[in-house]
Amino acid sequence: MSMQVCIMTPDRIFWNQQAEEIILPTNTGQMGVLKNHAPLMTALDIGVMLIRTKVEWTSVALLGGFALVKQNKVTVLVNQAESPSTINAEQAEKTYQEAQRQWVEATGAKEKVEANFALKRARARLQLVKKR
Amino acid sequence: MAQAFAQMVGGRCAFRGDCTAFSARQAPMAQRGALQVVAGLKDTRDRIQSVKNTQKITDAMKLVAAAKVRRAQDAVVNGRPFAENLVKVLYGVNQRLRIEDVDSPLVNVRPVKNVTLVVVTGDRGLCGGYNNFVLKKVEARSKELAKLGVGVKIVCVGKKGSSYFKRRLDRFEVSANFALTATPSTKEAQAIADELYAGFVSEDVDKVELIYTKFVSLISSEPTIQTLLPLTPQGEICDIDGRCVDAAEDEVFKLTTKSGKLAVEVEKRTTDTSDFDASLIFEQDPVQIIDALLPLYLNCTLLRSLQEALASELAARMNAMNNASDNARDLRKRLTLAYNRKRQAMITSQLIEIVSGANA
Repeated sequence: MSMQVCIMTPDRIFWNQQAEEIILPTNTGQMGVLKNHAPLMTALDIGVMLIRTKVEWTSVALLGGFALVKQNKVTVLVNQAESPSTINAEQAEKTYQEAQRQWVEATGAKEKVEANFALKRARARLQLVKKR
Repeated sequence: MAQAFAQMVGGRCAFRGDCTAFSARQAPMAQRGALQVVAGLKDTRDRIQSVKNTQKITDAMKLVAAAKVRRAQDAVVNGRPFAENLVKVLYGVNQRLRIEDVDSPLVNVRPVKNVTLVVVTGDRGLCGGYNNFVLKKVEARSKELAKLGVGVKIVCVGKKGSSYFKRRLDRFEVSANFALTATPSTKEAQAIADELYAGFVSEDVDKVELIYTKFVSLISSEPTIQTLLPLTPQGEICDIDGRCVDAAEDEVFKLTTKSGKLAVEVEKRTTDTSDFDASLIFEQDPVQIIDALLPLYLNCTLLRSLQEALASELAARMNAMNNASDNARDLRKRLTLAYNRKRQAMITSQLIEIVSGANA
């Protein structure tokens, strides 16, 4: 028996399948979870999550949230999740450059916070398409 | 005599295209009264046709709105598992944190100098007083806040509100505009939440209030004011009267067809908010986890409000269109009656003329 992985976004269930192994982008670095993991709760950064079903690795971009591991059931709650097939590589690259430029140029406190978020998101998307 | 008649008919030419044909025929004076009726008859006929067309449109709009309400309801149902899990975890974490002092940027309560009002209106009109009610509430609230010496900024969702505030830029400071779109998704909610989050964290604003239309039933919905930020660490969101509007006690509305008519069933659900395992490991500092949780909660709440506002708008449109159709039906009936009366009167008078002509 493997783990049940369920990724939920506010508008739907994004992913609900069995998996052998997952790697989560937590706030304190990447963390792998195998079956029979101890109950755990972690905050997730904006980044890429890796899921291994049998032999194949799948990657999903998670845009901020948290994960709960409990009795071989992993519940991931995120604001937004994206799979590589929905992201245009060129677009992602462009957005990333743009975000980086804005991040450098941002001056006010509010702009800084906004730019930081945009940059992180663009980076996660870019990572996702690069990995494919 | 014929001249005078032509003048008279000419007076009606403004809305009769074929008056030349009539004056050319040089009808005898006796027919003048009848002719006037003919003019009235065509007008009435045109009027009936136009009412008929309008009724068709309003009927169609009503059906479209009804179908969309159903979709809006599906969206709420799809968001359910997320909201349930979120509330569960939030309560669980809270249990653990009860002793500790939570210090997250989103729960930071400070003296209020500036308030952002998030105004949720529709993108379209023809929905009765829906947009107006919300905007009136905003006017009232901003006056109230101004009286307290608090600065007011507007974040507007929906085109109707944007155009309203655009015309009143001298009185309102609008910091951002968003479209509502036909199906509010996480993306829209996220964009709005980012704006609010950035404003709040950078201390540009000290409080964020949401003004939207709460969906009560298909025939009634009320504009509501809700405090979005700062969040209370208990994960409870209260409206300004202190009533708790929380996702834990969630109402789902269901559109059903009861005896051929559309009806709404409200179903109240209370999420099971049991404690966590004592053995649960917190990978990070609980405060950090709360930090990750609360933005999610903010998003989730925003999305729900958007969905609810959309459902209210559609319901309001459904009602308005229903009334319009009813009115059109009524008007058509009355016009048809008047038309038939006039027609019959005309036939009768013509018959009398023929008979009296034959007699003479």
